[in-house]
Amino acid sequence: MKIEILYPEICELYGDLMNAKYLARSCPEAELVTASLKEEPAFVGGEVALVCMGSTTERGQELSIQALRPYRDAIERRIEDGGAFLITGNAMELFGNYIENEDGSRVEGLGLFDCHAKRRMMARYNSLYLGKFGDMDIVGYKSQFSHLYGDPGEPLFRTLRGAGRTPGAEPEGLRRNNFMATYVLGPLTVLNPPFAKYLLQLIGARSDALAFEDAARDAYETRVKEFSDPNRGFEY
Amino acid sequence: MGRLRFLCALWAAKLSIPALKLTRHNGTNFPGELALKICPDFLRYIGKPARIIAVTGTNGKTTVSNLLCDSLEQLGVRLLNNRAGSNINSGISTSLITGADLLGRAKYDTAVFEVDERSALRIYPYVRPELIVMTNLFRDSIMRNGHPGFIADILTKGIPPESKLVLNADDLICSGVAPDNARVYYGLRRMDGDLTECVNLINDMRICPKCGGRLRYEYLRYHHIGRAMCADCGFASPEYDYAGEDVDLSAMTMTAAHGGERCTLPLISDSVFNVYNMMAVIAALCEFGIPLAKAAEAAGKTKVVGTRHSEVHAGDIDIVMQMAKEKNALAITRAFDYAVTKPGRKELLLMMNCLSDEKHWSENTCWLYDCDFEFLARDDVSRVIATGPRAMDYRLRLLLAGVPEEKIVCERDELRAADMLELVPGETVYIFHGVDSFDLTVRVRERIRERIEEAAK
Repeated sequence: MKIEILYPEICELYGDLMNAKYLARSCPEAELVTASLKEEPAFVGGEVALVCMGSTTERGQELSIQALRPYRDAIERRIEDGGAFLITGNAMELFGNYIENEDGSRVEGLGLFDCHAKRRMMARYNSLYLGKFGDMDIVGYKSQFSHLYGDPGEPLFRTLRGAGRTPGAEPEGLRRNNFMATYVLGPLTVLNPPFAKYLLQLIGARSDALAFEDAARDAYETRVKEFSDPNRGFEY
Repeated sequence: MGRLRFLCALWAAKLSIPALKLTRHNGTNFPGELALKICPDFLRYIGKPARIIAVTGTNGKTTVSNLLCDSLEQLGVRLLNNRAGSNINSGISTSLITGADLLGRAKYDTAVFEVDERSALRIYPYVRPELIVMTNLFRDSIMRNGHPGFIADILTKGIPPESKLVLNADDLICSGVAPDNARVYYGLRRMDGDLTECVNLINDMRICPKCGGRLRYEYLRYHHIGRAMCADCGFASPEYDYAGEDVDLSAMTMTAAHGGERCTLPLISDSVFNVYNMMAVIAALCEFGIPLAKAAEAAGKTKVVGTRHSEVHAGDIDIVMQMAKEKNALAITRAFDYAVTKPGRKELLLMMNCLSDEKHWSENTCWLYDCDFEFLARDDVSRVIATGPRAMDYRLRLLLAGVPEEKIVCERDELRAADMLELVPGETVYIFHGVDSFDLTVRVRERIRERIEEAAK
C-alpha cells in the first residue's frame, strides 16, 4: 500500500509533511513514496492508496500547478473513481479555477473545483479552528494569506469556531468522493486521532491503531476542551 | 502644518521621557508610539544621523546589532542605537527622539539600528541606511511571517535603492534579496563537520531559484545554510567578499579574509551561528571604512549577550539556560543541536511555551513538526521533561521523534517539573526557554539550584 507525498521539496510548510508520515508510521504495511516536481507522480500510472500534499509558498503554488497540469485529467479520473486525497493548507487552492493576487492578476488553477482564492499578503489570517467531520470534533489552526471563494460544493468540515473557507463561513475545505482538502493545519492527522483513524480505515489499513495513540488522544482531548471554551480567544 | 505637527509630536515625546524615568518605565517604546500617534509620518521629519547601519534578518539580528555597536564604540565611534527599545517603527522613532535636539536635529553622526524584517515598508521610506546587514532569512513565527520567501519579497520592495547590502552568501534566500542593490557577501568556507545533504526538517532552499531544478550542496551546515549549485542551469551561491576561514571551534579561532588580507581572531562563541554573526560584523565594519585588522580585533573583543545562553554551577551539576525562541522551529532546532551535541550526559527541561498566546487564545503548535526534536533522541540524553501548557503536545512530538517513553516526563506545572529532574552529579541540566518564559525560567533554575544545595547538606 502506497501513500504518496507530492512535491515535498516545496510543499512542506507548517509541519504538513507529518500528515502523511503519521499515517505511514501508524500503518506498518504502508510505503511512503514521494514525487518531485520533475517526476511523474506514482498515482498517475499505479496503485496509490492516498495522495497527500501540503502547504507551500506562493511561488511553490505556481510551480506545483505547472507540475500537475499534465496530470489534470488523471487527477479528475482518480477523484471520480473514489481515490483518496488529503490536501492541506494552501495546496487546496491549486484545485480551484484560479488564485487572484492583490493587483488583480491571476494564476490559473487546475479547474477541478468551481472556486478561487484571493491573496492578501499583508493581512495574514490566524485563528484556532474547531469544527465537525460527521460526529467527530476537528481541531487545528488557520494561518494563511488567502481565503477560498465561489461555489465548490460539499465542504470537508463544518465550522463551529474559527474561519471556514472564508472568515464567518461555516463550510470549510473541499470534499468530493474521497478527495479531501482543507486549510486546517496542525498537522491535521496528528492533532485529530479520530480523523486519522478514519483515514486509515478509508485506505484499507489492516488496523486503525495509531502510533502513540494514547499520547495523541490525551493531547487531542485537552485541545478539544480548550477550544470549546467560549472564553478562549480564537482569532489572533 | 506638517512641520508644526512634527514639533508637537517631538516635544510631547521628549516630555514623556523624564515622566517614564520617574515612573521607572525606562526602555519602552512609548515616546516613539506617542510621536507616531500625533504625527504618523514622524520618521520623515525627525533628524537622522548621516551614517546609518541597519541590521535585519530572521535570527541573530539583535546579536549582530549589539556586537556592531560594541565594536564601533571600542573604535571610538559615538553612535545612536535602539538596543534599549524595539526594532519596529516605534522603537526606531524612540531612539531617534533621544538622539535629536528640541528642533529635531540629529545629535549623532552615526546610528546602528536593528530593524524588524516586516517593518521594512514602514521604516525604509524615511530611514535610508548607508548599509543594511542581513544575517539570514529563515522560517520564523508561522502566524506573523508565513515563510521566508514572503519576507524576502517585503525586503526587496522596501529596501532603498541606494543602500549597500552586506549579505550572507551561504543563505540563498538572503543573498537573493533586492537584486538591483550594490552588495557584498560574507560567508564561512568549508568547515569540519560540514554535510552535503540536509539532515533538518526545514530546508527552504531545496530547489534552484532560477529554474526549479534540484540544488546540490558543496557543503551544508544546517537547514539551507551552505554553498549550493544547480546541476540543471549552473546557478550557484555567490562568491565571498569576506570569508571566514580555518574556523576552529576547539581552539576558538578563525581567520577573516578580504581582498588579499587575512587576520586571525578569537571566536566569542563556539556556535557556528555566532561565527556567522561575527563575520557579518567584520564585513559591516570594513564596509563602514574600518581596516580589516582593526575590524577583526574589535569583533574579537566583543561578548554575546547573556540572556540567550547562561550557565551556573551548583554542586556537581551545571545548569544551562538556553534561549529557544518560542514558536520558531528553526531557532529551537539550532538551540537543541547546539546543546545536545555538547559532551556528557544531560537532562532537558522543555519550557518554550508561548505564555502570552496561552493567556489570550492558545499557542499554534505547527512548529513542533518543523522542529528537529529527533536531535533529542540520543543515548546521552537521560531524561526529557515536557512542561507548560503544551506539555502533552511536546510529549507526543518527543515520542514520534524516537525519544524512548521511559525517558519522557510530562508535567504541566513548570516549578513542579523542576522537582522531577534526577539531578545526577556530573550531568548537565539544560532548560530551553523562550522570551516569554524567561522570568519563569529564572525561578525554575533557582528551584533546581535550591534542590541541589539541599541535597548537598
